[in-house]
Amino acid sequence: MIIKLVIILFFLMLFVGGDRGLTSFFTLVRTVIAFIVNVYLIAWGLPAVPVTLIVCVFLIAGVIYGQNGWNAKMHGAAVSAATVVVLIMITIGPILNRAGISGYNEIEQYEEISMYLSADLSVSMASVAVSATVLGVLGAVMDTAVAVSTAVNEVYVNNPHFDKKILVDSGFAVGKDILGTTVNTLLFAGFGESIMLANLFLKNENTFSEIINSKALFQEVAALFVAVMGCLVVIPLASVVTPWFLVRVRDDET
Amino acid sequence: MKLQNRYSALIIILILEIAAVLFVYNDAFLYETTVAKVVSVENSFSHQEEGPDGEEEAYYDQLLTVKLLNGSDKGDVITLNNTYTSSGVNDERYYKGSQLLIALNDSGDGGSILEKKRDMYVALFFAMFVFLMAAVSGKHGMVVMVSFIINLVLLLVALKIYDQYGNLIRVTMAVMIIFSILTLMFAGGLHRKTWVAVISTLITILLCLVIYMVTMRTSERIPYEMMDYIVNPKDLADLFLAGTLMGSLGAVMDVCISISAGVSEVVEKTSGITLKALISSIREMGYDIMGTMINVLFFTYLSGTIPILVIKIKNGYTLYHLVKFQLVFETICFLIGAIGIVLAIPVSGFFSLLFFGNIKGRRFADNDITQSSDTNVKEAKG
Repeated sequence: MIIKLVIILFFLMLFVGGDRGLTSFFTLVRTVIAFIVNVYLIAWGLPAVPVTLIVCVFLIAGVIYGQNGWNAKMHGAAVSAATVVVLIMITIGPILNRAGISGYNEIEQYEEISMYLSADLSVSMASVAVSATVLGVLGAVMDTAVAVSTAVNEVYVNNPHFDKKILVDSGFAVGKDILGTTVNTLLFAGFGESIMLANLFLKNENTFSEIINSKALFQEVAALFVAVMGCLVVIPLASVVTPWFLVRVRDDET
Repeated sequence: MKLQNRYSALIIILILEIAAVLFVYNDAFLYETTVAKVVSVENSFSHQEEGPDGEEEAYYDQLLTVKLLNGSDKGDVITLNNTYTSSGVNDERYYKGSQLLIALNDSGDGGSILEKKRDMYVALFFAMFVFLMAAVSGKHGMVVMVSFIINLVLLLVALKIYDQYGNLIRVTMAVMIIFSILTLMFAGGLHRKTWVAVISTLITILLCLVIYMVTMRTSERIPYEMMDYIVNPKDLADLFLAGTLMGSLGAVMDVCISISAGVSEVVEKTSGITLKALISSIREMGYDIMGTMINVLFFTYLSGTIPILVIKIKNGYTLYHLVKFQLVFETICFLIGAIGIVLAIPVSGFFSLLFFGNIKGRRFADNDITQSSDTNVKEAKG
């Protein structure tokens, strides 16, 4: 079924997007490969957080520059996306660790599969959880960063004499518009993912205290909120950074 | 003046949020379960065990001194034991200051740890989310928040209805129609482009459903019993389908509103635009959206599987097995979502042309009335 769906997706992208659809498809293939490499490197015992950082840099370069070319507006997007990734690792990572997000949650612990899988892996699940959260944020952050930078660049190209301040404001304005729809995409994907869990809680008639303190809920909630927060932080960042890159190029030329 | 208002509003939100998080941090008195706070921790190395590939896994013992925060023995200090490992797959490490939910034994001088108290972290994340939303996006952000909360409540109500009356697919369909009307209305207002977006969203989702059904019927069975969080083995297929469609809905709505808003903008700004030019501008918008949106979905779905993938690879599972039995669910969700995104471009393009094209103003006169009443409302507000 997966193969059939991939073939359908490929032809749809080719048909709707033409050459650029094809480029997007191969960017996606690269992303999938990077994802698998990331997982295997961690499983081979390399430290999860540095590995993920390197994979993130590779992905940001591949997706942002690969799809949109090497230019000043994309420098803005790439720099701000990378900054948000590092920011999230530094600020959210310790909170997640403190709250206990890693390893099996209380439901998985009693599932059959976890009974016969060895848990003696000497791979720190805490850093694996940080790695998973950061990668979960990456897609949305890159999307938002590219959208803001492109829009700022559009304003700049049409009004090359504008100074930085006006460009920054226009970045904010566009960011507000994008935000609603990106947040919706993330929210509904989160709904779809947690429908099984929600059903389980309802059927088992768990108490509110059991639900709100459970690791299972926290894993879903944290992934969702951190992704949304990543988007929110990248908007002002990209609005400030992109004009800086654009104006620098102009000042160099004059 | 306006800017000052905004800053003071933000500061008020921030203060309220800090108060709320602090309250949740100290809400032990609301619990029936015993809550305790770790006062001091002594960690000691216990032993080593060998893993599947000859790794050495270190086991540690923790002696926790905890202070009870509620119940009749409030204030008592007891000690608890805990074990954690260096990888922490199946256990939990506790720190000084952690709050725990515990089950006291009869004599009240010991007990077992039930769970870490995580409610303050949920509250903290929610508070950060609300604050950033207000700070970056202002009033618009608040509208998104309200629509989020309404949708969440709706989802829970729908699951409750399903729990009592059955037939998940019918409930899901009904909920998705309400979701898309509500969410798009919040995003776009009572405008013609909203209705175009609603119609194209629903039709795209319907096409996704058809593709899902056709490929599923003609392929080997999905191993539903490998899913997480199984309650009742009978409704797995339905639940999975509901989750898949629900997950695609957000992305499809996103594309539809972008295209229909874009077309409406182009038609309004450029009078006498040719059909051909309009189609090429729809394709142009489509390119821009497609690639990045598909990436967003990929990361959102697949990144959550990293921990279990690492555990399974360490236990010697092959990539083939992982894709076939572990990743299959996330991958199908992702692929249906991605197909939805790509399909939404021509579908919403078609309906935008139909509604905003050269027949504008003739057949859809009633829509113009809603549009003008909408502008009236805006004027009244402004």
